[in-house]
Amino acid sequence: MSDSKNKPRPSLGARIFRILSGYEIAVTCLSLLFLLTFFGTIEQKWFGLWATIHKYFDIESLYVIPTLGNGKPIFFPLPGAYWVIVVLGINMLCGAIIRARKGWKKFGVLLSHCSILFMLVAGAVSSVSKQEGHMRVLQGEKSDYAQKLFTHDIEIFKYGENGDREAPAIVRSEHIKGLGPDDQINATFEKFDFTLQVDSYLPVSALAGASPSNPAPNGIEVVDGFYIQEVEKDIKEEERNMPGCYATVKDKDGNPIQRLVLWAGNPYPVSFTHEGARYGVTYLMEVWPMPFVVDLHKTLGEYHPGTRIPRWFQSNITKVDGSSREDYEIVMNEPARHDGYTLYQAGYTAAAEGETPSSTFAIVNNPSDKWPEYALYASTVGLLIHFLVMLGRFAGSSRPKKSPTIESSAS
Amino acid sequence: MSANQPSQIRPAGPNYQGLRWGFVIFFLLVQFGLIGYGIRGIIPETEIREVDAYSPWSDEVVEIASAIPVQDGGRIKPLATYARFKMLSFHGALTMKVKSGGTVHKIGPVQWYLDCMFRPELVDDLPIFRLDDSDILKPFNIETKKRRARLSYNDIKNGGTADQDGFQQLINRGRELLEKQEAQGKESLSPNEQKTIEFAQLTLNYIGVRDSLDIIRGGLPEIDVSQLAYVDKDYLALLDNADKRSRFFYWLPVLEGVVRSTSRLETPEARQFEYELNRQATFAKYGPVLVPPQSKDDEEWINLGTGVEQFLQGRLADATIFFEDFRVLSELANAAKNPNSPDFLDKLTAWKKDMSYRAEVREEGEKIDTEVSYYNQSYFIRGLIFFILTFLISALGWIVRDGKGGRVIQWITASVFIIGVLYVLAGIIHRYIITGRPPVSNLYDTIPFITAGAVIVLGVAEFLTRRRILLSIGAALGVIGLFFAFRFELGDAKDNMDPLRAVLDSNYWLATHVVTITIGYSGGLIACFLSMTYVFLALAGVMKDPKAFHRFMTRTVYGITCFTLLFSLVGTVLGGIWANDSWGRFWGWDPKENGALLIVLWTLIILHSRLAGWMNGWGLHLMSILGGSVVVFSWWGVNMLEVGLHSYGFIEGASTVYYFYGATLVAFFVGVVAWIIENAQKAAKKASKTSPALSSEISKS
Repeated sequence: MSDSKNKPRPSLGARIFRILSGYEIAVTCLSLLFLLTFFGTIEQKWFGLWATIHKYFDIESLYVIPTLGNGKPIFFPLPGAYWVIVVLGINMLCGAIIRARKGWKKFGVLLSHCSILFMLVAGAVSSVSKQEGHMRVLQGEKSDYAQKLFTHDIEIFKYGENGDREAPAIVRSEHIKGLGPDDQINATFEKFDFTLQVDSYLPVSALAGASPSNPAPNGIEVVDGFYIQEVEKDIKEEERNMPGCYATVKDKDGNPIQRLVLWAGNPYPVSFTHEGARYGVTYLMEVWPMPFVVDLHKTLGEYHPGTRIPRWFQSNITKVDGSSREDYEIVMNEPARHDGYTLYQAGYTAAAEGETPSSTFAIVNNPSDKWPEYALYASTVGLLIHFLVMLGRFAGSSRPKKSPTIESSAS
Repeated sequence: MSANQPSQIRPAGPNYQGLRWGFVIFFLLVQFGLIGYGIRGIIPETEIREVDAYSPWSDEVVEIASAIPVQDGGRIKPLATYARFKMLSFHGALTMKVKSGGTVHKIGPVQWYLDCMFRPELVDDLPIFRLDDSDILKPFNIETKKRRARLSYNDIKNGGTADQDGFQQLINRGRELLEKQEAQGKESLSPNEQKTIEFAQLTLNYIGVRDSLDIIRGGLPEIDVSQLAYVDKDYLALLDNADKRSRFFYWLPVLEGVVRSTSRLETPEARQFEYELNRQATFAKYGPVLVPPQSKDDEEWINLGTGVEQFLQGRLADATIFFEDFRVLSELANAAKNPNSPDFLDKLTAWKKDMSYRAEVREEGEKIDTEVSYYNQSYFIRGLIFFILTFLISALGWIVRDGKGGRVIQWITASVFIIGVLYVLAGIIHRYIITGRPPVSNLYDTIPFITAGAVIVLGVAEFLTRRRILLSIGAALGVIGLFFAFRFELGDAKDNMDPLRAVLDSNYWLATHVVTITIGYSGGLIACFLSMTYVFLALAGVMKDPKAFHRFMTRTVYGITCFTLLFSLVGTVLGGIWANDSWGRFWGWDPKENGALLIVLWTLIILHSRLAGWMNGWGLHLMSILGGSVVVFSWWGVNMLEVGLHSYGFIEGASTVYYFYGATLVAFFVGVVAWIIENAQKAAKKASKTSPALSSEISKS
């Protein structure tokens, strides 16, 4: 007792390290993560995948209150899963790697913890720097850009004399998507001498036409016979949720030139004229320029005979990057990887009569793309070593010398 | 008892034996009640129906018909398989019994389908429809003896009113409700209304099956051939008797002219003839896809309805081949009027040989015979029987443990258990040979595979430890797993060997990710059942050496929890890598992914709590019992949410899952009670040690 009394009190840093590396935090984080994953799974039945992921697992989600489909809470508030994982990662680093005993007997455990931590790091890198989009290409055509499904930009461009579009000025989605229905922003452009005031933003909307027989609801603004209105969110397919807004083009003195209604589901530009020049405005999925060109030679696919169940589909492409050309065959489960970009076969449209078949590629740029795979190999080896050692010990000590263990109650 | 034999003395203090057995009996009753209620809920009442005119098909006819190639679900399969899943979709079972002339006949899928093809007049009397809730038919005056029943088409038709029979009333009501569902959403319908739609749809499907081969059976009304202005007179002269004129086949070569002619006629008989011609051709499109395509490049086989359509559109390369096929089938139908006659048998054999040869030339249908054999072998049912035997013999071994008798029982138990395992493995391997896919590629496959994994692991553990108890638990798991596989196939009623969609069709990933994750499921379930067994035995207090038994079971469950973690973790990450290759993201918080993660997290909580010293053996057992529910949630529960990218595994109303959750909860509470009793005993023992006077009192007594 006297020894412990004489022991110098550990420093604050040591005490913090001990707490951070303790089993208490490990078990608490694992338990919280279990609850979050469980509630984050069953809530998907009512609120769909995207809304639930956003609620439970996003970086912005500091805490969550699990609810039933009718919105009634069913559990205490829990911390957001992202931050629980961060704390778990720190705990793993401090406890299972730095503080853990080292030695060949512990090699398996150490290796598996290192690899799991590496996997969490891969997840963090992916969540910060991963970019993804979709590229649709008709057979025999080329494309050098993808589009991001969930972000929408406003593009303003001038029509040239022969009707071609000139390079656009862009109002990025991050400036628009945070707006409330009563907020507005004013965008100015270097290349144009007018400004664009964006207002009445609705994150999930539909474009509707107004007519004398079918007028717009009271209080809703109609522009050129059209208006946007809020609609129920599609919880199953997030990409179906189209934002919309109104915009006013103003001259340099702030006088309105043209009022516009912009909806992300409308592929056609809305046009206006200013000082004799014609301009177009689109509100479409964000364009993601690629550093290469995809040349689709052939898109092939088959259904299982007599059904509409896809059997396989394949795209034969050439990736043109400056002067270098590389041929790829992209099939389901076998993407093409090149220079940090991965192209997946996401869809295939068979040619109807008189039409050209097309392929849709999902394109991902993720620096940590293969890290989980490397982590898997390491953790498997680590766990195998550890558990085989344990199995050896168990088998060696579990055989009874003589008498069996159970007797009937009669005996 | 003397003081020299302390190890034989029960611990001092109360032993609560009466209370223990009271709890054991109570909880066993609740467990069996839960399981019994679950099983009762899925098995309808059966009765032997009297169908006087019924005569059975001969075994020879059934054997030949079984191996006729048919294209269905994207592959060439034997008629036996096609009929099996058709019958299951209506009947929920693979046999029905009818009585005629005092004899009971068992009707299997092939016999029933042959009746549909060739004897529709009998089929309407067979109790083909499985009904789980007779309340839904009461509005149509269709009465059943019990709530769960089997009905024939005629039972339904005979309901209703004088104006409208029961079938028509049911269909009309089904349509109304479907319109309501489309307008107001599924939530606007009561459960009974939803069931009414489903049952109405089922009866319509039945009509589709029954009438799909009317086209080869005759039944066209009489028509005055002289009025058919656009048909060649010489050809009409060949139709010189009523039987020929009643058969679609004879009209086929001049069909276009017939249609043109009848459409210009105003007579009722022309209208009736045109209607029936059209009806037979339309229903034939829902019939079995029996005829190989004429071009080698074309993969789609055709049924007679499609063939007629292609002929009219001029898309058949050689119409005479199709005419010949049509003729042979029409003659087969004619011969079937005398079902087991040599003439019918010869024609059926000739058709089967011809189709098999044409399939062989196209390098298709090579596995028809082995698939027929697979279903005839009933591997999993036989395995189930051997596991039941293993369990019973091993139970005998608990009573007769020692001496030669004990050793003999031990050997018999092991031998019967191994036969059971071999049957399960043979079934899995045979499926692999037929499908050419790794052993787990759909939800059904997971059941025998997980069962096999569990029984093998427990068998090996028994071999390593020789405690006998593990073999009994293995046998019990084998029985439950294979029974569940059997029930799932009956309830699902979908051919589980059909080809996979592109995203799943990867032997590499099926062999790695899916196999690994299902081995993880096996581990979690083994740990759960071991702990369940432990808590019941602990509560009953039947262990000779409770400490040693506790130590052994705890170490075993701990080891299997490690096993579960290894396979679940590797399987989950492999799934992420597959998702990354298919969809471009490693992790998407999809329900199926989350389910796998839940198992990993659960085992990690157990292992870390134990390492920290917060969880003793009892804690481990209680956690691993609840872990069984986590596994079942991951395996089945998430599929019932019907969301996410793993849409190929959706299931509806798998109520058995809830009974399993209930059973684990009961076992959990049993464990809590047993733990409390043990702690009370320990406290009493401790108290007696600290009080010597009391201790000596107990010794004296």
